[in-house]
Parts: sequence; C-alpha cells; structure tokens
Amino acid sequence: MAVNKQNHKSSSRLKLLLEKRHIWFAMLSIAAVLAVYPFVVMSSSSSAPEIVPPGGSHNGENVEQPIEFPHNTHVKDNGINCMYCHTYARRSKVAGIPPTSKCMGCHKVIATDKPRIQKLTEYWEQKSPPPWKKVHDVPDFVHFTHEKHLKRFVFDQDFPVENVKEVCAFCHGDVENMTVAHKVKPLNMGWCKTCHINNGGPGDCWACHK
Amino acid sequence: MSGKIDRRNFLKIMGLGGAGTALGGCDLPSTVTLEEGKEEVVSYLMPEEYVIPGVGVWYASTCAQCAAGCGIHGRVREGRVLKLEGNPDSSMNHGKICMMGQSGVQAHYNPDRIKTPMLREGGNLVAVSWEKAVGAIQEKLSAANGDQVAWFTGTLSGHQAALVSNHLEALGSRKHYIHEPINASVWQAVNKDMLGEAMPRLRLDKAQMILSFGADFLGTWISPVHFSGEYAKFRKQKRRGLLVTIEPKMSLTGANSDLWIPAIPGTEGVIALGIAHQLVKNHSKDMSSLPASVQGLINKYDAATTAKIAGIDEKRIQRIAELLVERSPSLVLAGAPVEGQAKGYASVAAVMLLNQLLGNIGQTIESQGSFPFNQLKAKTGGTSDLFSFVETAKNKQLSVVFFYGTNPKFTAPKAMEMDSALNDVPFKVAISMFMDETSMAADVVLPAASYLEDWGTHVAAYQPQQTAISMQQPLMEKLYAETRGFGDIVLDLLKVAKKDVYSAFADYYAYLKNAHAALPAEYKEAGMTDGDAWSAALQKGLVNVATGSMSLPVKPVSFGDPAPADSGGKFAYHFVPSARLGMWDGRHANLPWIQEAPDQITKVVWDSWAEIHPLTAQKLGIKNGSIINVESEHGTAKVQAVLIKAIHPDVIAIPMGQGHEEYGRYAKGRGANPLKLLNPVKEETTGELAMYATRVNASPTSQKEVVVRLGASDTQAGRRFVVTVPVEQYQRTEGA
Repeated sequence: MAVNKQNHKSSSRLKLLLEKRHIWFAMLSIAAVLAVYPFVVMSSSSSAPEIVPPGGSHNGENVEQPIEFPHNTHVKDNGINCMYCHTYARRSKVAGIPPTSKCMGCHKVIATDKPRIQKLTEYWEQKSPPPWKKVHDVPDFVHFTHEKHLKRFVFDQDFPVENVKEVCAFCHGDVENMTVAHKVKPLNMGWCKTCHINNGGPGDCWACHK
Repeated sequence: MSGKIDRRNFLKIMGLGGAGTALGGCDLPSTVTLEEGKEEVVSYLMPEEYVIPGVGVWYASTCAQCAAGCGIHGRVREGRVLKLEGNPDSSMNHGKICMMGQSGVQAHYNPDRIKTPMLREGGNLVAVSWEKAVGAIQEKLSAANGDQVAWFTGTLSGHQAALVSNHLEALGSRKHYIHEPINASVWQAVNKDMLGEAMPRLRLDKAQMILSFGADFLGTWISPVHFSGEYAKFRKQKRRGLLVTIEPKMSLTGANSDLWIPAIPGTEGVIALGIAHQLVKNHSKDMSSLPASVQGLINKYDAATTAKIAGIDEKRIQRIAELLVERSPSLVLAGAPVEGQAKGYASVAAVMLLNQLLGNIGQTIESQGSFPFNQLKAKTGGTSDLFSFVETAKNKQLSVVFFYGTNPKFTAPKAMEMDSALNDVPFKVAISMFMDETSMAADVVLPAASYLEDWGTHVAAYQPQQTAISMQQPLMEKLYAETRGFGDIVLDLLKVAKKDVYSAFADYYAYLKNAHAALPAEYKEAGMTDGDAWSAALQKGLVNVATGSMSLPVKPVSFGDPAPADSGGKFAYHFVPSARLGMWDGRHANLPWIQEAPDQITKVVWDSWAEIHPLTAQKLGIKNGSIINVESEHGTAKVQAVLIKAIHPDVIAIPMGQGHEEYGRYAKGRGANPLKLLNPVKEETTGELAMYATRVNASPTSQKEVVVRLGASDTQAGRRFVVTVPVEQYQRTEGA
C-alpha cells in the first residue's frame, strides 16, 4: 500500500510539471544549444573523432615470475614490436603469451650465457613452458577482446603498426620501461566505461557481459 | 573530473549520503581490485599452426546422453571442450540438441568422476593399478565356465556393440542383458508382429493429425530431438497438423496438444477399440481382413461401453474418430502408459490397429529399409531382461558379469530383489564414469573415459530419412590419465579371448580406422585414400549409409481384450513413475543443470514430488506442499505433494530419476525413487515390466513445506501476460 501511495504522489507531481509548458520550452531550447555546441567546435578543429586515451592509475603488486622477463631489453633496447611476441592480439580475445618455441627461436643463439636464458633453456628442454603468473586480469563475467580494441585504435585509424606500443600503453602502461609487467591501470568497469564513453565504444551491457 | 569538487560531484556525494567514496565512473583510483599474480597463464610450448588461443574450433562427434544418437559439434578452445551444439549435417537432429545433450559437459567435467580402477579387497573397494584390476578379471574369466559370463548394458550400437557380441561369442556365452527403463519395447514387439519391422520410420511431417496415447515423442520417446523437428514441420503444414493426446499425466507432448484427454492408465487399448468401432460402424472403414477375435473386440466396444470403462465422454470418442477420418493420413502412437500394463501388448496392438484401419501404413509409417551392416545395428532393450537376469543369477548360473551404461540396482523395483540377485553373482565388473549404485556393488570398477574423450561409432535404432553411422571422436585429451575408453576396455578383453583376430590392433582407434577402411568403395569419394576418407568422416561426424528399400507388409495380429482387470484391492490410486526429458531414468541426476532445470509441467526444481489432482488432494486432506506418504504393496515414498490439474484424478505420479543412494554429491540422498515402489508385474506377451500397473495410497503427514518452483502462481493476477480464451469459446470457433 505504501508503495502505491508514493507512486500516486509522484505521478501527480509529474502531471503538474507537464502542465507548466513554458518551463519545458525553456529547458528544451537550452538543451538544444548545449547539444549543438560541441559539435560545432569539434567539426571546426578536425574531421576524425579524436582518441582520448584512458586516464587513471593503479599501483599494482610486484608479481614474481618464474623468469624475470625484461620487457625493457626487448622493446626499448632492441625495438621489438609488441605484436611480434603477443601475436594473437590482433586475431583473438587474448594477446597470448608467446609460445616457448618463439623465445627459443632467438635464444638458441642470443645471450645464452645469461642465467635467465639458461633457465628458459631448461624449461624448453624439459618440454614444459614456464608457468607465468597472470598480471592483467578481468573477472570471468567480462568478455574483453584485444582484437576489437586493436581494430578500433590501430587498424581503423591507420595508426602506424610499428608504434603499436603507444596503443598498448593505454591499458598496460609504459611496458617498455618495465622488466616484468606491472599493473598500472585499474581495469575495472568504471574505468572501461569512461573510455567507452569518451571514444564511442559500445554502451550495451551485453557487449562485455556475455 | 579528477577529484575536484564541482557541482556534479558535489551532488553525487550528497546522493551517496555524504559518504566520501566516489563511484568508479570517474578516473579515481579504485578500491575494486582483482588478484594479481595468482593465476597461472601457461603458453604453448610449440603451437599447432591452426590454433589461436581464445578462438574456438568446432569438432563433430556423437551425443551419448541417451540412446537417440544425435550428432553434435563441440567447441574446443585451448584443448578444452567448452560447449556442445547439434551437428547441422546430421539428419537426425539438424543442428539441434536437447538439455541432456547440452549438459554433457557437466558429465565430462563432473567432480565425482572415477579416476582410478578399484578392486574389492576385504569388503572395501580400494584403488589399484590397471594391471592388477585387469589381472583379477582375467583370473576370474579363465576360471569361469564360458556360458556363465554375461554383459549387462544399456543400448549399444556400432562397433562397441559388435565387440561386446564378439567377446561373448568368443567365450561361448549368449547372455547379453540390455536394460533401458525408458523404452518402446512393447510397441516394437507389436510392430515386429504387425509390420515385420520393430522400428518403422514415422513421418510426422506428412501426417495431418497425430493421436498419441501417451507417446511423449517431444520429451522421452525414442528420438525426441528428431521428432521435435518433424513435429515442427507437422505444425507448419498449410493445414496445421492437429495433435490429440490421451495419457494419465500431462507430458511435454500433452502440453503441446490441441486436445489433451486424461485417461486412467490401462484403459487406452479400450479407447482405441472404441475409436475403431466408430471408424468401422460410422465411417465405413473395412475390418474384414482382421482376425475374427479382433473383429469381435471392435464390435464389443461401442461408444457407451468404451465411455463407461475409460471414463471419457461418448461424444469425445466419436469426435476423435471423425477427426481421424477427416484428416488423412494421420498417425496414431502408443507410449509407456499403454505399454506398461499386464495387457500392454493387447493395448498397443489395439492402438496400432487404428493405423491399419485408417490406411496410415505406407503413408506415415514407412519401412526403414535394410541396413547393410548387421553387426553394427543397435541392440535395444527394455525391462524384461531385469527379470531374466534376476532369475539366472538366483539359479547361480552367472559367475562373471560386466556392467556398462545402465544401473539396474537403482532402476529395478524393490520387489524384484535385484540386490540379492547381485549378491548371487560372485564377480561383478562395473565399467563406469561414476560410482552409481551398481558400481558400488561391483568387485572391480574400471574408470571409463567420458564420451567426449572416447572413440566410437553409433547406429541409433531409430534412423531418420537419411540413415547414417554417427562417428564419435574425442574432443579433448583425457582429464584423468587412468581412465580408459569403453572400446579399448572391450578390445583388451578380446585380445585375450580371441587373440588371433584382435592382437593386430594397437587400440580401439586403430580398430575403428581399420573398420572404416574396410567399408565398400561407395562409402569413399572417388580418388580418396583411406586416410582422407577417415578424416572426411570425422570432419562431417557421420557416414551416410544407403539402405535397401523395403515395403511394410501388414499382417493381421490377433490379441486379447485389453480391458484392465480391476484388481486395485486396498490401493485406490493408479501410480505413474513419470519420465521427463532431462532427468531421464535417473542417469542425469548428477548434473546440476538438469537438477536445476524445472520440470516441464509442474516447474518444480531439484527434489522429488508427487503430482496429485486438486480434487483428489482435497478428498485426502492434502495441501500443496504437504509432505505425504505414497504407499504401494512394496514400499513407501515420503515426498512433497504438488497439486496440478494436468493429471487424471485417479492417478498419483512421482517423476523417476531421484532417490539415489549413491551417484555423487549432486544426486545422492535427494528425493525418492518411485521405481522401488512398483509391483513386479510382467506384461503378459513380452515379459516386460508393467511400469504403470501399480496401485498406491497417499496419506498426509503433519509436515508441509514451500514448493520450490518457477512461476509458482497459476494465475496472471489479471495482468494478461498471455491472452487466453475460455474453452467453450475456443471449441465454438476452432472446432475440435
């Protein structure tokens, strides 16, 4: 009963509002001006919608990995593209940890005197890939796909693929200056959603929760 | 908007009642974190060329959740099977599967899988190695008299059936007991006598009308997914097919009917003869070719006599006869309630007689044609083998029995004394994925691989328009290294029993591949190597088989009066151990998805319950949710009462499948097993167990609990979600 009464009250209030037409008129015209304004400003500055990289920060834990993999040596010092190793990123929901055979492709001959490479070689010879620990994770009820994000931010933009690390950095931070990866962005729903709003990503619940 | 208090943030904070935390919608450091560095993410050592992590690959196989043999596709990702769907290439199920098929992954990943072989030592089953388990079996086999070795299985077909037959043959035994509580055995026996073919092809899609006497072809009858597809075609005809169902308790098929008539189990044969009487007397159908005894029966059951015995309005019987004549060709079917009587054969024969009188044979009932590979044909069974097994065991004529794919200790009525019969078998081997009741009583338990990890071929007893051998291949590596495929287990037995023939095959895979290569040339595309043809068969999931065309010669069958002899005694109500798609005979009680899926009619989940008509309940002082005792001559079940109008007032039904004493964490100790209450009545002609011939009484206890069901209200509370019309108006405007 209590609920019914309240409903009744609010609906009569709504009626009252609707009757004051002049107020609605004023509000509508303000809204119209507000809606057109950013459009005018944007279309004067550039034709393509601007990409707004996500902000935010997160102080991730230091995750101990079976081998302290130096991203900096690979990316910064030797200029290897992220997608050379994380090769599935453009084709699948997961970026993929590189298969051990790919590591060995180079490290059969390169830096074989380093203890980390010797440890890698041990794994290879025992035919068991290193048990890497997952750093960037979303809950199981979230469907995140690398493929769609790379399409939106790299391939659809004609963004030079050799600079793809700048796009990866949106979510993974400055990996080229890290050894093992370190979580530096919150990767929670609000954070994702903000970026989706800023960059025109899908807003339906089922786009991610399916 | 980074932490600055502007007007909007100020309002938001106020909205939260002044709490200082902002919603995650802004770029503020969040308090929501996931564990970092806890989960492992392991890469491939060397990736296969076609594998992309995160992208699924679909492989074809065959469903083994019931005996219908639907083709399936399984999505495999990172070496794990994740989702099952129907195989669109299979003319059995055309890309569809039912809830039992969907929950196959829960059987496969079930935490209660048996992981190692077990051997009974000092009264207890203890984990042993395969060598020790197989050694114990071989020791008993070599000591046993060959004809005292038996197999006790569910429906088997394809090369698995061939291997089991060959094993028995090699030992000099003919004892293969086949048991399926949900079957069409009596119907098959009648067909065999009347048409010369036990399992004719049914053309639901060509029928103008289907009259089903309790044949739940959309739920539990023979090949439900296939029939559902054909039923859709039946309904989509230019003149929409008309479905009339006569049964004691509403089934899924009954719920889909245009007209549903509740009948006392056992009176269906009389109703069929009543309709036959109308066809002959009022619609000039010819009965001159029928035996005199049958003609006598047709003459006997005029509308008034039929109405009196069956408790159905005379006009209904006349109307159904009219409709059958008007809508030709039609199809008349008989299911479990008709079969499950002492006079089940006569009742089914009376129902099939209608097809004969109406000229449906050759129209909607066709021959399946001759299947060229006799050894691969399905070996189906019903319940008669329960009786013969118990008798043979008690006569101490069985020394070693292998159990696979069936659970007689659970499904046999208590009065049959299956427990003591099992005790009379000195050495029992159970090949099983789970510790069910029968496996718990075994002396050796061999852990079977799941059907998603195993090789096989299947030839379902009921074949659609395109007959096929359905291929079963592993969709992933075995979850548990110690489990073994059924084919491999039997092959290993044969390597000992018939060494000269079978020692050539390394494993069951090699045996199957060899058998496929031995198929006649027309089974391979021109220019294909054996290896290519094998890959093509696996890729498609089936090998189409050309069957020789055959006609159905109708032979007159004489049968006795199907009228039930009234012998209820002090038990007033007819008892129906009802079956439903999902729980089936209880084999799926250990799958949480199936437990949680509501019963199609009552919408109750998980537990056991008794379905009672509200009028009957009122008479007995039973309310919805009352805990009641349902008592038969042989036992009592304590269950919750669920009042439902979709049941005959003289019937009390308890769905079968629950009441497991073993069978894992999800099934054990849940509900009651109605099969235990049954009287061990034999069907007079076929020797099947008459499952619908038991009488019971029901009495309330002082307890009452909430009925857990989906959509618990029968009314729409005036909200008109579903627009309805009164029956009188519908009859006035739509006929029937």
